[in-house]
Amino acid sequence: MDMLATNPAVHPTSTAKQAAFSPYADHGGTNLAIAGADYCILASDTRQSSGYNINTRFAPKTFKLSDKSVLATAGCQPDCNMVVTRVKHSMKGYKYTHNKEMSTPAIAQMLSIMLYQKRFFPYYDFNILGGLDEEGKGCVFCYDAVGSYERVPCNAYGSASALIQPFLDNQVRNKNQQGKEKVTEFDPVARLSIDEAMRIVKDAFTSATERDIYTGDFLQIFIVTSAGVEEQLHPLKRD
Amino acid sequence: MFLTRSDYDRGVNTFSPEGRLFQVEYAIEAIKLGSTAIGIETSEGVVLAVEKRVTSSLLVADSIEKILEIDTHLGCAMSGLTADSRTLIDHARVEAQNHHFTYNERIPVESVTQAVCDLALRFGEGAEGEKSIMSRPFGVALLIAGCDERGPQLYHTDPSGTYVRYKAKAIGAGSEGAQTELQEEYFQTMTLNDGFKLALKVLKQVMEEKLNVSNIQVAAVTSQDGYHILSEEKLQSIVEQL
Repeated sequence: MDMLATNPAVHPTSTAKQAAFSPYADHGGTNLAIAGADYCILASDTRQSSGYNINTRFAPKTFKLSDKSVLATAGCQPDCNMVVTRVKHSMKGYKYTHNKEMSTPAIAQMLSIMLYQKRFFPYYDFNILGGLDEEGKGCVFCYDAVGSYERVPCNAYGSASALIQPFLDNQVRNKNQQGKEKVTEFDPVARLSIDEAMRIVKDAFTSATERDIYTGDFLQIFIVTSAGVEEQLHPLKRD
Repeated sequence: MFLTRSDYDRGVNTFSPEGRLFQVEYAIEAIKLGSTAIGIETSEGVVLAVEKRVTSSLLVADSIEKILEIDTHLGCAMSGLTADSRTLIDHARVEAQNHHFTYNERIPVESVTQAVCDLALRFGEGAEGEKSIMSRPFGVALLIAGCDERGPQLYHTDPSGTYVRYKAKAIGAGSEGAQTELQEEYFQTMTLNDGFKLALKVLKQVMEEKLNVSNIQVAAVTSQDGYHILSEEKLQSIVEQL
């Protein structure tokens, strides 16, 4: 009976094969967000990869939701797209029923529920929601795929997150810096000017692009202030 | 008067040839039999005051509840068939908690009012896929008071499902006289205490019994303290100011 093991002449494709259901794909890419006293910066690269292939050099994955909120997504592109569509849809419905724009903390809670509703077939999507809260303070909410979320001063998600997060911990949260006051969860905003934060964002992505093959091509930056959302596009290495 | 309507006032979902829904109109009439309730919006918060009809000395006045909490920032006074309000207020409470759960914020006053009014016309047979909850219109009017980011607000809802925002509104048996009095006495710069005094003054005029602390109930909704029923001591001090 044990023909396979004893008879090497049997071709492997002629034996029974288990079909696998693999609905997820990782499309790489990196997102970063920093919340300041009166601003919030979200940045992401625009490369979309599948393994060693680059699908496209310009596939934005960060979207403006309102004048006060921006959503950055990373993971499986179709799942990210679905989440953004659903959030926008729900914000529109909210505006019709309540006659006002949904605030960033309200979007944060709603997104958490939206993700948890798919607890047993989750969206492969790691979100960072950034913007201004009701007091005009910068806010960043970061999520796991099933909706657990936290308000943080800064966050990096995606393929180069392991390269960028320690840099942010040191430069934004002042970790392991002697004589500098740490940024804690009790006041989750960076003590940086908007220009300092922008420099850190650009440096982080330039360095990450050097080492991470899934990050590169273009850097999209969204700057949220009381004046609205400003969008910038900067070149990154294309190799 | 009633005979002329008799052909069309039986079905709850039938328009008369003049385009009227008599059952809804009768429901509105039912409110005029209820005890008087008054709401006054001031810049500091909203005042709700109701009369309790203590018809017997054996009746425990505390057991009459005509002002209820919907959420920490929302209160509601009623007049008419108060039992009908249970369905409406239960719905409002669920809606308020749902909003808090979904958006981590307090539900706006207008939204909770709209939610209550959505129920008002769900009587009759019920549309396809929609469960019928009532066989007839609700015979109760509500004064919904609350504070949100738009400040203190007062809304009035009736059995037709219409809601209107008021600066001051009276409903129930004494509403006509009370409303005229409110219109004369109301002023824009009222404080919350002015609101209490005006509410009790008007209530005193329209009540059949002599007003005292046990046959009225007063509540306030302010931005700071949210919804709260006034204590007997506080009530006593306002009554003495009258």
